[in-house]
Amino acid sequence: MRALQGLRGPRAPSLPLLLLCFLAALRRSLEHGLSTAAPFTSLPVQEEMMTKSSNLSLESHSISMTAAPFTSLPVQEEMMTKSSNLSLESHSISMTVEHSNMPVEKNITLERPSNVELICQFTPSGDLNSVNVTWKKGDKLLEGNYLVNATGGILYTQHRVAVINSKQMGSYSCFFGEKKQQRGTFNLKVPEINGQNKPLITYLGDSVVLMCKCQDCLPLNWTWYGGNGSVQVPIGVPVNDKYVISGKHANETRLKITQLSEDDQGTYLCHAIFELGESEGHVKLVVLSYLVPLKVFCAIAAEVVLLVAAILLFEMYTQKKKKPSDDGKEFEQGEQLKLDDSNGIENSGPRHRKNESVGQ
Amino acid sequence: MTPKPTGPPDGGWGWVVAAAGFAVNGLSYGVLRSLGLAFPDFAEYFDRNAQETAWVSALALAVQQAASPVGSALSTRWGARPVVMVGGVLTSLGFVFSAFAHSLLHLYLGLGVLAGSGWALVFAPALGTVSRYFSRRRVLAVGLALMGNGASSLLLAPALQLLLDNFGWRGALLLLGAVTLHLTPCGALLRPLALPGDPLALPRSPLAALGLGLFRRPAFLVLTLGTALVGVGYFIPYVHLAPHALDRGLGGYGAALVVAAAAVGDIGARLPCGWLADQGWVPLPRLLTIFGALTGLGLLAVGLVPVVGNEDSWGGPLLAAAGVYGLSAGSFAPLTFCVLPELVGIGNVVQATGLVMLLLSLGGLLGPPLSGFLKDETGDFTASFLMCGSFVLSGSFIYLGLPKASRPGTPPPEMGELLPVPQVALLSPGDPHSTLDTTC
Repeated sequence: MRALQGLRGPRAPSLPLLLLCFLAALRRSLEHGLSTAAPFTSLPVQEEMMTKSSNLSLESHSISMTAAPFTSLPVQEEMMTKSSNLSLESHSISMTVEHSNMPVEKNITLERPSNVELICQFTPSGDLNSVNVTWKKGDKLLEGNYLVNATGGILYTQHRVAVINSKQMGSYSCFFGEKKQQRGTFNLKVPEINGQNKPLITYLGDSVVLMCKCQDCLPLNWTWYGGNGSVQVPIGVPVNDKYVISGKHANETRLKITQLSEDDQGTYLCHAIFELGESEGHVKLVVLSYLVPLKVFCAIAAEVVLLVAAILLFEMYTQKKKKPSDDGKEFEQGEQLKLDDSNGIENSGPRHRKNESVGQ
Repeated sequence: MTPKPTGPPDGGWGWVVAAAGFAVNGLSYGVLRSLGLAFPDFAEYFDRNAQETAWVSALALAVQQAASPVGSALSTRWGARPVVMVGGVLTSLGFVFSAFAHSLLHLYLGLGVLAGSGWALVFAPALGTVSRYFSRRRVLAVGLALMGNGASSLLLAPALQLLLDNFGWRGALLLLGAVTLHLTPCGALLRPLALPGDPLALPRSPLAALGLGLFRRPAFLVLTLGTALVGVGYFIPYVHLAPHALDRGLGGYGAALVVAAAAVGDIGARLPCGWLADQGWVPLPRLLTIFGALTGLGLLAVGLVPVVGNEDSWGGPLLAAAGVYGLSAGSFAPLTFCVLPELVGIGNVVQATGLVMLLLSLGGLLGPPLSGFLKDETGDFTASFLMCGSFVLSGSFIYLGLPKASRPGTPPPEMGELLPVPQVALLSPGDPHSTLDTTC
């Protein structure tokens, strides 16, 4: 102790000082982190990232502690390059003053966690420096970490979001405050599911396959809900013969319903679960009885029978009208026949000609 | 010596018969053409691919044409009227049966075999009867009758879509059964007609009724050969025009518009061509060659036209090519049947019609599967349409070998045989006739 104390004498200020500096650094970085945590969403996200990419977490964390506390920007960039198992997507919107009345929106479909870079570029009419640039998520103002760059008369601003779960999805807007505020919006959404637009018409006792699919996406899980009105009951939970859920590929799901009855009518929902949220599609099912088309069929068949009867009756009627006059003609021709036959071949020449004139 | 019945009326009740022929054509080919609209529903319900469902209409077409000689044989024996009426009932039964189908096989049997047989009993007798009722205006009347095809598919296509939307495919098939039942009243309108040149005695055996003896005539043989080749290519657009349009990038409505362009061209051409042919300026067999060649060229154009279409475009070049194809195919069809009375005589027309249909069926059996195979191999329909265009062109080339007919205005000779022209002597060396026909 005495030695230490003795030692502490000349060196005493360095150890506590170092400890103090360390504590100050820790506190400052924590404060810095905490102070920017609330409005600036990327920091807590990065901490979460650390928990997810667990094999990297320790490294990242230690780097931030021992490095200079105020170099927050490069640290975050380092963290991003380290968690390289997440892909980076870049989307941009450009706005000009002329088209200020049209809302500028871009829809971004995300399925898997990734880093998303949102870039707005704006061509102001006046001075570049007088333009105020802000970012908002929904209605909440985002402070701090976005880059603003001005080259060649065009103002660029970039905001990076690390999207890990559904909390980071939503609408991000960039605002350029000039005379009138210009707004560009990025909508981060999960992929849409396509059900069927037209109702499916089926008949009692028949079976039907309802299908939902989405282009180029692979949901983690599919569930089906059915029900009349507002009550949505999950289907297939007690596994029975009536409902069979299957799917040939991961991007589609099929629900086969057998032994249809009137109760099976209604709208069915197919629910797709992604890492970043949920999405659903609708399929409407209509169950008819065979009597519905059968009645129309019988009506048309009756009409056909009437038509045939009318045609045949008309023909018999017109033939009856012809008969009294025809009988005379036929008698004449019959006589000619007998005469011809009896005369034989010798007189066939002149007879032949005569016949022709009569026949025509 | 025996009382000669008067010649073809060329009017009067003949126009009613032509109208009946119009309806028969519409209710057979028109329904067949529009049936493709229901295929996606079949494919979805039975969980089969497009090719297997397309076989339904290919089978129906094949049965209809292959069994045509049976229809014409039966009508030679009992007259066209009862045969067509029975055919209507048979077709309707086929549709009703298929409405309750539980597998694609049931559809093959109901629509393909049953409805196809019903159609086989109606087409050749009805068309033959129309031919019999006219001589000077024959091509016009037959053209009018064949217009039913295109008119019906224009009307039936949206009507069928409406039925599918409201009744599902089962109800739609059931109601189509009711619609095709109208073939029976059409048959009732086909009053029997006695003409000079009719065979005096009824054929003794069923084989003789089929009229196979007609094959011994060289002119008919040339016609059948050419028709067989044309048949390979002629029916491919029935099956593959819409998928080709969709394949080229057009949306559902764009493809429907292309099919409609072909149908409109088809209808629109028949009357003018019929009138033109009846004028007699060009001999019928030459007209046959010309329009056959044009059809072949139209098919080549459909295959070669590059359409970079999207969902909203209306596919201009493809539309134009389909229109050209429709116009020439529409002109070609009545000519095929109108050439017959001059080649075989009016008495044998019904049988000849049946035999021509049989040959077309051989082509029809071969064509669409071959076209589908080429599409699978090459990735798109270009090769398919090139193939069918070349088949039609080669068939038309063979038609050059047909003897030039006498003017349609003059009454046909006693036996209906054509006196051959010198060129034909090369093809038919054993021909006994030596007199030359110098008129055109």
